[in-house]
Amino acid sequence: MATPTWNRRHVISLEDFRPEEYDTVLQTAVSFQEVLSRRTKKVPTLQGQVVANLFFEPSTRTRSSFELAAKRLSADTLNFAASTSSLTKGETILDTAKTYLAMGTNMMVIRHKEAGVPQLIADEMDRLQSQVGVLNAGDGLHEHPSQALLDLFTICTTLDTSKPRLSLLEGKKIAIVGDILHSRVARSNLWSLTASGAEVHLAGPPTLLPKLFADYAIPKGMEGWDDGSRTRKLFLHWNLEPALENADFVMTLRLQKERMTQHLLPSLREYHQRFGITGDRLKHCHPEVKVLHPGPVNRGVEISSELMDDPKFSLISQQVTSGVAVRMALLYLMGSGNK
Amino acid sequence: MTKTLLRQVRVLNPVYDTDEIADVLIVDQQIAAIAASLTEVPDGTQVMDCAGLVLGPGLVDLYSHSGEPGFEERETLDSLLQSAIAGGFTRLTLLPDTQPALDNPAELAWFQSQLQHRSAPVQVSHWGALTLGTKGQQMSELAELADAGVLGFADGKPIANLALLRRSLEYAQALGKPMAFWCCDPELTGNGIVREGTEALRLGLPSSPAIAETAALASVLECVADSQVPIHLMRISTARSVDLIQAAKARGLSITASTTWMHVLLNIKAVHSYNPSLRLNPPLGNPEDQKALLQGLQSGVLDAIAIDHSPYTYEEKTVAFSEAPPGAIGLELALPLLWQNLVATDEWTALALWRTLSTHPALCLYQNPGAIAPGLPAEITLFDPNYSWQATPDNLRSRSKNTPWLGQEIIGKVVKTWGSENGHA
Repeated sequence: MATPTWNRRHVISLEDFRPEEYDTVLQTAVSFQEVLSRRTKKVPTLQGQVVANLFFEPSTRTRSSFELAAKRLSADTLNFAASTSSLTKGETILDTAKTYLAMGTNMMVIRHKEAGVPQLIADEMDRLQSQVGVLNAGDGLHEHPSQALLDLFTICTTLDTSKPRLSLLEGKKIAIVGDILHSRVARSNLWSLTASGAEVHLAGPPTLLPKLFADYAIPKGMEGWDDGSRTRKLFLHWNLEPALENADFVMTLRLQKERMTQHLLPSLREYHQRFGITGDRLKHCHPEVKVLHPGPVNRGVEISSELMDDPKFSLISQQVTSGVAVRMALLYLMGSGNK
Repeated sequence: MTKTLLRQVRVLNPVYDTDEIADVLIVDQQIAAIAASLTEVPDGTQVMDCAGLVLGPGLVDLYSHSGEPGFEERETLDSLLQSAIAGGFTRLTLLPDTQPALDNPAELAWFQSQLQHRSAPVQVSHWGALTLGTKGQQMSELAELADAGVLGFADGKPIANLALLRRSLEYAQALGKPMAFWCCDPELTGNGIVREGTEALRLGLPSSPAIAETAALASVLECVADSQVPIHLMRISTARSVDLIQAAKARGLSITASTTWMHVLLNIKAVHSYNPSLRLNPPLGNPEDQKALLQGLQSGVLDAIAIDHSPYTYEEKTVAFSEAPPGAIGLELALPLLWQNLVATDEWTALALWRTLSTHPALCLYQNPGAIAPGLPAEITLFDPNYSWQATPDNLRSRSKNTPWLGQEIIGKVVKTWGSENGHA
């Protein structure tokens, strides 16, 4: 497989991702999806390389997805879980990262419950002049780039299975509904979806969707973005209906139950009444509308149980399947640079 | 008898509003003579060629943290004094949140006994805890602390109970000591660690709204207006606070206010590195806050720049940004970096900077501000604004190295600090 243009050592945020980089990831993921459909679902691409999953925050789904992706690429994988580690014995996060560096790790997939840890470790790796690539697998409320890329891949492949590309989304209406404020998935998706030229409509109660989000998706310096033909279209709604009106895709987000104790919501019941996605509500959308959710789902809160399981509308299990191919693509692209 | 002649040094005298090149003769810790050119020099005088160097009154810090007692791994009194000298500070005022807290005369006596053995050109003064254990629940024995010799009263932490704050103001007015408050509403702050705004959203860090500071500030200003007791407002960090203070001063309230050197030099955009040394409390402002603080200092709405030196060990600070304890070291970095960013760029005059670091802090503490004139004690700082050095762990005197400038090149260094040798005010 020829390596398309890729010169990124770390993937921590999508803020400065360029359109051609999105397309590279999408196209590479198509190739790996093909690999995953074969009888022998494994390629030797990363043979001899070590991928360490440093999950300082517990995770089963994302960690399994990354582990499988690395194994399908024939990399050796190491799994670190914070609860059983020496972090409790006085070691710092940088000590942990340096230990894995000393073992010859080539790529680190990092998740942490606080924002900024992948950046901190990437900076330390660069400072030590290592070639290690850092992939952010979710940091606090900051970003979850691989999730946004698999969302993008899932959406684009429903529009063109064999040639998913960013430009397919131009003019499409995408609603992101729920607890935007506390969502790293939404933050990453805002960069990718607005970059595509789609109309992005955010909906949620004002406490979970502050006005400040209107200015969120303006990248630093704007340099490198192709002229201005892709003006970022971002809209905020404190009611669900205008966001759903004619929407092509609806993304719902997980609502953490602790939001009530933080005075952000009166009750889950009221939240579901106003912002829960149900089959009935989808009637306002485009007839071909599809629904996404990054998981894990609170059935009956952000999305109704029936809708979640309805294959006509729900892309939720496709997202999980796409996840492996997209993460293979990321590891491949990052790994091909450090041989 | 030690005699030193500083030949052709740039003498900054904010008290007299003068900035001129002169020869300065120092004899036995006293300024013996100043003249455009001193031709008759006593025998045995050490002559220093000071062309390009700056001489100003010693710097005065309004509030900083000592590690000792309780947290000697962060900072000992020795390393603190060394750090102050290396940064040109001749007066330090320590916050009472040591372990144990300085809320009774015995703790003050302990400091005094420790400091009297140390020979350093730094006067160390103490803020006595306004409330027991700096817990914000019950007044300390303020009169006893005043008699024992604390400089003034401050917890260095927010006092959420307005009734307690009001009664403390009333009670302490009889003692004639400075009082300092940090206005911050803990409930509005919540778990916020960066200042609310678009940048905070992008960073994905929990944020604290500006009103956590301004609502608390407005309440404190109302208490001050009611009691007419003068106070100092610490760690001002938002644009709106500057407006509130301006209005309060305009209506005649007897208040002084300071921000910190980090809030002057940085804003939340710096946090994109997630460097835990940028985790401060109050958090760094948005760009418009930083701009308002700079304007407030220039217009005199804000009186002084404090250092709020807060040492933490490598282990304590090498964690996720939001898990790091707030604060950064600053004593030996503040003058060079402020000079480099404000004076070397011609945004501020040298006198304006020196005023906010020496003259005004002294006035906020009810102390005589330093000056350089014949007959006055030599409490002075000699600074080379062009000297380039690296802020490596070895070069920093503080035991802790928690600064975002670690490893970077710094332009400007204090050459020598002269001060009273008794080590204690």
